[in-house]
Amino acid sequence: MSDPTILILASLAEGDKHGYAIMEDIRAFAGIRLGPGTLYGAITRLEDRGWIRAVKSESRRQPYRITAEGGVELKRQTALFGQVVRIANRRMKEA
Amino acid sequence: MRALIRSAARLYPKAWRDRYGAEFDALLEDMSPSFGDVWDVLRNVVRARVSMPADAGLALAPVAGSSMTARLPVALSIGAHGVILTLFLVAAVGYVTPMPSHRAIAPLPPPVPEAPPQMTDARVFPEALTLYSSLPLAHTEEAELPLYVAVGVGINFFPLPDIGAVYRQGNEEWRVWPGQALESFIVRRVLPQFPRDADTRGNVSVFIEYLIRRDGSVNVLRTSGPAPFSAAARAAIGQWRYRPLEYDDQRCEIVSRVEVRFDGQFVQDGAR
Repeated sequence: MSDPTILILASLAEGDKHGYAIMEDIRAFAGIRLGPGTLYGAITRLEDRGWIRAVKSESRRQPYRITAEGGVELKRQTALFGQVVRIANRRMKEA
Repeated sequence: MRALIRSAARLYPKAWRDRYGAEFDALLEDMSPSFGDVWDVLRNVVRARVSMPADAGLALAPVAGSSMTARLPVALSIGAHGVILTLFLVAAVGYVTPMPSHRAIAPLPPPVPEAPPQMTDARVFPEALTLYSSLPLAHTEEAELPLYVAVGVGINFFPLPDIGAVYRQGNEEWRVWPGQALESFIVRRVLPQFPRDADTRGNVSVFIEYLIRRDGSVNVLRTSGPAPFSAAARAAIGQWRYRPLEYDDQRCEIVSRVEVRFDGQFVQDGAR
């Protein structure tokens, strides 16, 4: 779950955010501090894949928004994680 | 720290800087960067360089809002590569395990000398002529050694298998060199005499363990066997003398073993 792209999608699922706001949000909900290089590396990949897009802004602090494709990817990933968590929990009870 | 990260950010491809440079700079103003962030940016610069098409290389333009010259990031890059290479070399050297240095507790035996041509006393050791190297039967003109003939007595110079064994006595220890290997070093030897008043039925073997001192003289350490026979063997072998033995140009002391066999039946039958 430490994949920065999924963390950024999860953060933007709440609403538009710029880089620093994304960084702080992820630190708050996942306890993970993304470095600036990691954050913008992930933002670059997400934008290339069309999962997020920049929102028009006059400020130098560029906000981003999750796209429909990004939302589908986030649901796919969370479903996969959910399945892994369920199976792990069941196996721990059986052990 | 921000200046360092901005300098590192100049290493991003130009296309990336044009697209994200301004907002990346704004992010740096908002956050409290650490030294780890410099490394984080450098790592992602490499990733971006690999994944994005090449641009003007290291002829870099300044990031928006920064007045640093374009030469600094080049120097930083070279320095970072130097640090990484140094760490790699140090780690590589650390993996090389030095060979352990061995030190022998006592000198190892010299190469086995070729035994001098001698006749074998088949009367005393008839069962293993090729194994035993006993004293000759008679004088020979070519022989340098004074040779002895004693009725019913033979010397068995132990063969090589126990070569290199350690002999300990008190706080001292020596390598055991089989008598066979040292036979050619003998310069004086005396054959034991069959005890006159001893029982002459059957064979008696006496085992002698002796120390060859640095000057070549012999000190009998211990014997086994019935008293009259072991006393005869001890008296004779104690008179032996060796050419001083050397190892690494140093005289050394050696422990050796021989078997003295007394053949009573042969004494009864008389000499040939």
